[in-house]
Amino acid sequence: MAKIIPEKEIPSLASELTKTHTVYAPVIKGDETVFSEINDSAEIALNYSQTPLPPKMYFLPANEELFKVVDDELQKAGGIKPFIVFLNLKDLKAVNYLDKIMQKEPADTFYLQRRSVSTLVATTESAVGSHNGSDLTLEKRNNSTYLAHSFTEKGNKILKSSLFKEAPIPEKSAQEPLPNHFDELLLDSGLLAQAVEWSRENSPSTWEALGKICLSCGICTYVCPLCFCTSTEDKTSIDGSECTRCRKWDACTLPRFAQVAGGHNFRPTQKDRYYNWFYHKFVRAYKEFGQAQCVACGRCQKYCPAGIDIEKILTRLVEDYKKAHTKKT
Amino acid sequence: MKNKPKIAIFDFTDCEGCEVALVSLREKLVEIATETEIVNWRLAQKKADDGPYDIVLIEGTPITQTEIDTLKFLRGQTKILVGLGSCATLAGIPGIIDKEARSGWYEKIYGKDYKPRGIDALPLSAYVLVDYSIHGCPVDKSELLRVIQELLAGKTPKNPGYSVCFECKLAGNPCRLLDKKPCLGPITAGGCGAICIKGGSPCYGCFGIRQDAQVDNLVMTLRKFSDPAKIENYFSMFLKKTPEYKKLFDNKKERNGKP
Repeated sequence: MAKIIPEKEIPSLASELTKTHTVYAPVIKGDETVFSEINDSAEIALNYSQTPLPPKMYFLPANEELFKVVDDELQKAGGIKPFIVFLNLKDLKAVNYLDKIMQKEPADTFYLQRRSVSTLVATTESAVGSHNGSDLTLEKRNNSTYLAHSFTEKGNKILKSSLFKEAPIPEKSAQEPLPNHFDELLLDSGLLAQAVEWSRENSPSTWEALGKICLSCGICTYVCPLCFCTSTEDKTSIDGSECTRCRKWDACTLPRFAQVAGGHNFRPTQKDRYYNWFYHKFVRAYKEFGQAQCVACGRCQKYCPAGIDIEKILTRLVEDYKKAHTKKT
Repeated sequence: MKNKPKIAIFDFTDCEGCEVALVSLREKLVEIATETEIVNWRLAQKKADDGPYDIVLIEGTPITQTEIDTLKFLRGQTKILVGLGSCATLAGIPGIIDKEARSGWYEKIYGKDYKPRGIDALPLSAYVLVDYSIHGCPVDKSELLRVIQELLAGKTPKNPGYSVCFECKLAGNPCRLLDKKPCLGPITAGGCGAICIKGGSPCYGCFGIRQDAQVDNLVMTLRKFSDPAKIENYFSMFLKKTPEYKKLFDNKKERNGKP
């Protein structure tokens, strides 16, 4: 026997959970699906492909007050109410990866604190096997029914809801989504890393051209579920008695990111900065974690106001790299 | 007890909207007035002491010789001179008109014998060293407060290093450029909360051009769906007296002048 929930009951589950948790889920707003706090009887867009802002904003807020010093006394930021995020498998994968990055010493305790009070509920049409990093995954089996897979204590607690029914595992008829070309590219992170690193010296025209297109607006990093760079500043009250340490999302595509005291900039041109974004995601991440910092969610290319197609660039770099490599041997 | 810093607020040709933003700080303004001495502020108080001052905030564009002279005098009277609002920092709305058009209008409106007092519409920085510019039409209250807090804490304030796009994305606005509508957000410094875009209007750049902005790249993107005259129009609203505007559009004018 297994726990199942009818599709039409999932919004009720979310609103039931708002009694004990803050609940965030994808909802349709205008032409977009966006993450939003759920109140009673909200429709949840279970099958969203991508939202403009990724769920990282709940664990790494865009603007965050870390702590205060008031009259020379340290005051830590207040406790965070436990919260639940409904998300798809790609966004789940990104949160899992972000956990790994933030746990690496020196660990980001502010991020980890938010993660410790959060519960991840994934929804998917794919078959679910072993623990996928969620607390609870709701797998679509057929048009009307989801099968629940709980992986943690937090997940078990949600399963106690009377909205879940004991039933035999329903026959699977929901279509398994096929991997797209971007997903396939990511399968060989090692090749991507080699191609991107190789391109800096061997395909300079690629980066020259992109440096003349990129608007340096920072959007690709804000919408990326895995970009985690922030800048830190202290805010002082008018009477000088209070100092607050704040951080906000930063972007390596912005000019001040690699500027140091005295004014020197380690990445003085847009070309350098734009290459760095690729370098960190596909080369450095691979060297550090054995995997590209990308889940092929497609946000960066969908929301780039200059229309830069990142997937196309990667595809071409890999092709060029392979060609150059076969010529040599 | 240490002496409280002396603040003075002056204005030239403008709408006084940025001073109203200062008044709108309400309780925070009272706090500022408690921690400092506001010794001269025509709009808000009778007290009008002469310098020297520690901080002078100047709103508006210096247009007449008297205003230009006053500006130069005030520079000598203060340790820190801050431009308040786009009229002071960019020449703003007064900067839209050019000198030639201005003399034409003078004649049309006031007749041939009129002796104009207006010299030009240029930002404060065209005449004196400006220590910090609080851009905006009007200035954003939290930005205004941030700069005052930093000055009082002895810091050197810095313009936001990010674009309007940061706050625009957080506000959940659909991207105008993706909808093929003009917007100067990517090249404009943030701090405004993307208020215009939220209200359905393009960004005209009143917060000033961001450090190392990719102006040419934005023009390329704009040209995909907007004609050059329209693009120039968007840039001329607040940025007409910037070097970036001159570089983009002034050469073309010379060519147009010689058919």
